Amino acid sequence: MLTDKIILALTLLLAAVYFYATAQIPSLEIGDPLGPKAFPILLGVILVLACVLLAVEIIRAKPQPAVEKDAASADSAENAKHLWQIGGVVVWTAFYFWMFDRAGYIATTTVYLLALTIVFNRGKWLANILTSVFFTIGSYVLFAKILGVVLPTGLVSF
Amino acid sequence: MDTLGHIMNGFNVALMPVNLWYTFLGCLMGTVIGVLPGIGPAAGIGLLIPVTYGMNPTSALIMMAGIYYGAMYGGSTTSILINTPGEASSVMTALDGYQMAKNGRAGAALAVSAIGSFLAGTFGIVALTILAVPLAAYALKFGPAEYCCLMLFSLAAVSSLTGKSVAKGIISTVLGLMISTIGIDLQSGQPRYTMGVPELQDGVGFLVVVVGLFAMGEVFSNLEDHIKGKAEIIKLSGRLWLTREEWSRSIMPIVRGGVIGFFKGVLPGAGATIATMLSYTVEKRISKTPEKFGSGMIEGVAGPEAANNAATCGSMVPLLTLGVPGSGSTAVLMGAFIMYGIQPGPLLFEKRPDLVWGLVDSMYIGNIMLLILNLPLIGIFVRILYIPTGILLSLILAISAIGVYSINGNVLELQMALMFGVLGYLFRKCDIPLAPMVLALVLGGIMEQSFRQAMTISGADPTVFVKSGICITLLVFTVIMVSLPVILPRLREWTSGPEDVDS
Repeated sequence: MLTDKIILALTLLLAAVYFYATAQIPSLEIGDPLGPKAFPILLGVILVLACVLLAVEIIRAKPQPAVEKDAASADSAENAKHLWQIGGVVVWTAFYFWMFDRAGYIATTTVYLLALTIVFNRGKWLANILTSVFFTIGSYVLFAKILGVVLPTGLVSF
Repeated sequence: MDTLGHIMNGFNVALMPVNLWYTFLGCLMGTVIGVLPGIGPAAGIGLLIPVTYGMNPTSALIMMAGIYYGAMYGGSTTSILINTPGEASSVMTALDGYQMAKNGRAGAALAVSAIGSFLAGTFGIVALTILAVPLAAYALKFGPAEYCCLMLFSLAAVSSLTGKSVAKGIISTVLGLMISTIGIDLQSGQPRYTMGVPELQDGVGFLVVVVGLFAMGEVFSNLEDHIKGKAEIIKLSGRLWLTREEWSRSIMPIVRGGVIGFFKGVLPGAGATIATMLSYTVEKRISKTPEKFGSGMIEGVAGPEAANNAATCGSMVPLLTLGVPGSGSTAVLMGAFIMYGIQPGPLLFEKRPDLVWGLVDSMYIGNIMLLILNLPLIGIFVRILYIPTGILLSLILAISAIGVYSINGNVLELQMALMFGVLGYLFRKCDIPLAPMVLALVLGGIMEQSFRQAMTISGADPTVFVKSGICITLLVFTVIMVSLPVILPRLREWTSGPEDVDS
């Protein structure tokens, strides 16, 4: 229920930002009776209506919240731990992308995969190292050399 | 007669060696993607579009379609062997399929799903072939106003049927439409919502969103499940064939599943997942021993598996004939069409009959290939399941990076894809459906254009949308769709009375 309220608040915020941004579009109405703003304004209105609907759904669903609270809190502690781990993966991926054309595909991808597999495929050092190295080289050959996809070369290339 | 000639010529196109090869490649990759738990057909198509740049559009689309229907075959394998559906549409298969595997009948379960998929899939393509021509001819009468209403109806159906909450479905839809308004407005030349970022002038790349939401977001969700614990794989046992008794029990569910699946597939919003649920419910209702469902009834595998394959064929009908997809996966397929500069719809039947019928006819061949791939060779695909999840998910992230980077060689788009990945993960956590957003993103641009064209023609008079019978009918259906989740429980309560408590 709390998440639904957060969704409601964020969606309303989004609608407000969207309306503001729409108002910023300069409009020269020549030949086009609607101009570039009309459709976006309509979308904003529908989004606000959807928020009203969501609010109604939240109010309607209220009578049955009382689930076992202990289980829920233990669950949420566990959930928080998972969220941190997923957050870590996201940050690590963002860093990978940031380095992507700086250090090149081969260097970044090997290191990126190595770290991920070490964390999520724990203990299997040999398999992890072999996968990271051979996947990176194999995919580079397949995509950059055979399929002609442009990948950044950077530090290591051939 | 002309149409028949086109259909026959389609076989010439589909039987060309290069197209046979891409049909095979698509079916093979589709099966693999179906087997892999972390990746669905939408992500698979999204990741492979960049690879096919430079190929001729017919071959590329034949391959994409192969991935789409091939994934439906592969999805059943994981449902049966590890009780983890590879795709949403295989959830029902897991109920009885996994129990059959536990009882040592994994071979029979896999066999019936492959045979059922083949029969229903072939039926679906025949129905698609028959239905496509008159529907495309009818759709030629549509003007901008009718198109706009049709897209509105399709979006409303998908928003209201794919999730638990209509409000969240609509929010997801509007979000997709809003993303489609980013970039230079085609009619006035005004940049909208670009925030001065030059990369945004062409709009947010479709593949960036698809790879982010479906590939990366799915990986994040799967990583979380992976941290929580691992599923056990049941060894493939038993001959990969059916006993006479099992066969006679399966044939009618396959027929019923095929018919239900096809028609559910044609309707927007319903799609494969709902078709499988309906088929399972029907089999349970008419069974003499409904209490045995859930303990390894072959009917509960045959029906839904037939339904989801027929539904994929059915869902090709609105995509090809109207140019308005009715589900997330077909929306991605439409995105692929557009990337090749091909606008699916009634005009395509006149302009490029070779492409349309080549694609449809390749599906007959693809179904035969899939039967071969999935019966004798299923043992090979099952091995994919032994790849450690931690490695598999990491590799999918790296492949996503290649896929997105190869579009424009732009790192900013990589970061945007990651943002959509996080968004997709959060959406899944909050039960916000993703399919409406992708569909809205694909249709958004066309919808706005047709909306504005209709208004320009009418001189900014909004009554243009209620002037034709087609428009009014579509708008009425739109309203019904949005209010369906409110009406339906009431209606059920009212008709069945208080004694029916199972739903």
